Amino acid sequence: MAFTRKQLGIPYALFLLLFVVLPLLVVFYYAFTNGSGQFTTENFVQFFTNQKAIGTLVYSAVIALITTALCLLIAYPCAYFLAKGRIPHGAAWLLILVLPMWINFTLRLTAMKEILSFLEGNLAFHPFLNTIIGMTYDFLPFMILPLYNTMEKMDHQLIDAARDLGASDAVVIWRVMIPLSMPGIVSGVTMVFLPAMTNYVVLDMMYNSTYIMGSLIGSYFSAYNWHDGSMISTVLLLLIGLMSWISKKAGADSEEGGAIL
Amino acid sequence: MNGRSVAILLCLSMAAALMGCGKNTPKAADDTIVLRVANCEEYIDEGDWDAEETIVLADGTEILGENSLVEDFETWYEETYGQKVRVEYSTYGTNEELYNQMSLGDEFDLVCPSEYMIMKLMQEDRLLPLSKDFYDEGIEENYYARYASKYIRGVFDDLQMNQHKMSDYAGCYMWGTLGIVYNPEAIRAEEVSHYDILMNPKYRKQVTMKDSIRDSYFAGLAIRNADKFLSPEFLARDDYREQLSKQMNDTSEATVDEVEEILSNMRENVYSLETDSGKADMVTGKVLANLQWSGDAVYTMDQAEEDGVTLCYSVPTECTNLWFDGWVMMKDSIGENTAKQHAAEAFMNFLSRPDNAIRNMYYIGYTSPIAGDADNDLVYQYLDYNYGAEDADTAVEYDLGYFFGEDVPHTILADPEQMNRQLFTQYPTADVLARSVVMRCFEGDANERIAQMWTNIRCFDLTKMF
Repeated sequence: MAFTRKQLGIPYALFLLLFVVLPLLVVFYYAFTNGSGQFTTENFVQFFTNQKAIGTLVYSAVIALITTALCLLIAYPCAYFLAKGRIPHGAAWLLILVLPMWINFTLRLTAMKEILSFLEGNLAFHPFLNTIIGMTYDFLPFMILPLYNTMEKMDHQLIDAARDLGASDAVVIWRVMIPLSMPGIVSGVTMVFLPAMTNYVVLDMMYNSTYIMGSLIGSYFSAYNWHDGSMISTVLLLLIGLMSWISKKAGADSEEGGAIL
Repeated sequence: MNGRSVAILLCLSMAAALMGCGKNTPKAADDTIVLRVANCEEYIDEGDWDAEETIVLADGTEILGENSLVEDFETWYEETYGQKVRVEYSTYGTNEELYNQMSLGDEFDLVCPSEYMIMKLMQEDRLLPLSKDFYDEGIEENYYARYASKYIRGVFDDLQMNQHKMSDYAGCYMWGTLGIVYNPEAIRAEEVSHYDILMNPKYRKQVTMKDSIRDSYFAGLAIRNADKFLSPEFLARDDYREQLSKQMNDTSEATVDEVEEILSNMRENVYSLETDSGKADMVTGKVLANLQWSGDAVYTMDQAEEDGVTLCYSVPTECTNLWFDGWVMMKDSIGENTAKQHAAEAFMNFLSRPDNAIRNMYYIGYTSPIAGDADNDLVYQYLDYNYGAEDADTAVEYDLGYFFGEDVPHTILADPEQMNRQLFTQYPTADVLARSVVMRCFEGDANERIAQMWTNIRCFDLTKMF
């Protein structure tokens, strides 16, 4: 007996309902109610008037921004040479870059800590720097892979054509390569920026005791305050949704641009 | 009916079935009692000891954890009462996790939270009182009533919540103090006799503490009150203990504000608010002093010893937090089921049998409240087995009468170095306990106030940027 497409979709629909839709509804319920179960928007107002919460949001965003920028800076040339550089054993090099992803990241960070302690001594003196290093190390493969995939498919002849028409290196990069690889940049940035805002395990391990969004949410739940905790999650969800929307727009625009070229 | 509505119906019915499973009390076909127990992670003897780990006590008793205590309980219960019982054992990370799990609908019959969480549960009227027979010392199997230290029993009798005695609801499982583990090669004992070592710029980024609101608040409050607590007038007061307890349970707004100031500075000074790296960092020497509970401290010292590093434990002179974890029965889950209540109480008693208490202490390094009596002094023997001095000439007397009873002398002859090491950590002296305080749960808006204080300390302060 053959399954119809709808029947095959049932497991996914079920998963979606149980583990995505239902939990989200619970989060929304708590976000917009108070202790006695009445509807309120006070939690929402409180978040945006709480200077500490905003401070945490800024701090998380700064960490995520720097991490993403560093990842992009390192990953972009890396991915380009792997995809187009015609270097011998390119696949093996790519494997080496991706290999760390196969190892649990806390284990990798523990190893990283030993190296950093050797270099800078007491790690506790530079919590911010170490957080950035740890995050960049952790998320780099997530930036390289999408970039590599896009660049692999990129038509190299377009770059040659630009050169033939007299474009300088800078112009080639800025006007041709970057627009062509925009989908990879967008998905790489999304995959790094958003987790970097909440991955507090890296901060814990790097002796940075300042809260970021993830730990702030956790702190509300351990103080039995589910309402404010859920509200922060909701705000974060909205921010992430907004960013995805913007990046999707950006991605679509660049694809159009690519088509015109 | 089209395909889509079939799919939706199917989803809903399956979801309902799944939820139904969760709520269903797993009732086996036969009359096996199912006891749902929740305990902290790594907080019970899980058995599987090597044969050479066998503990041979002075009177020839051999103690070896072959099976886990949970398995042994199931066997023992059937042998003793002729009734099958199956323990569904689960674990949690923190008291707050347990509380949240139970609020979300997870049902447990017997749980083991810390003193403040027991108080919170008592306050919310969610606990089932212990049965009348539980403290009947005439019943042989009432090991807790028969063998628990009178000192701990007294503490449980004195603690009240809403006019109910803690001892009516809870049996102690482990207990201890809050103190500072330090590296004696780098830090002098006098320096760690005050909580303000955590703020001492001399050891900037070389001292640490746990990421815990309550412990931090306690330390901050002790620093705030240090001068007062150490003044001769205060120490000489008739109501010294009550005053100390009152001051250390002060959660008024003004006090919380002052403690916030202290803890903000402390946070700048400490290595980190560590989650679980503290033990390793002490062994490697990155951290020289660490605020810890006595149970963790013993574990840290044991681990360090294996790596050839000697660490010591100090209880600051201001005061210490007397903490304990205890077994309590949940009212909603057990309800009127007397068979289940019987099994739950038997579980507490089984863990209180001195040989089992020793197995736990060996396995997890914490201190059991079980002291034994004149007929069963296994725990005292175990203490002597662990800490008795090999060289009688240098040995010093260590009096533990308050814990084991004053009827016969209970004075261990121990190595002098044990005076600030594992022996002292596991069984503090009576004068340490004279300055101990039980830190109650934060009630009402105090909980929110202190949670906010902690968030303030931990969050990035935008105003400091400009």
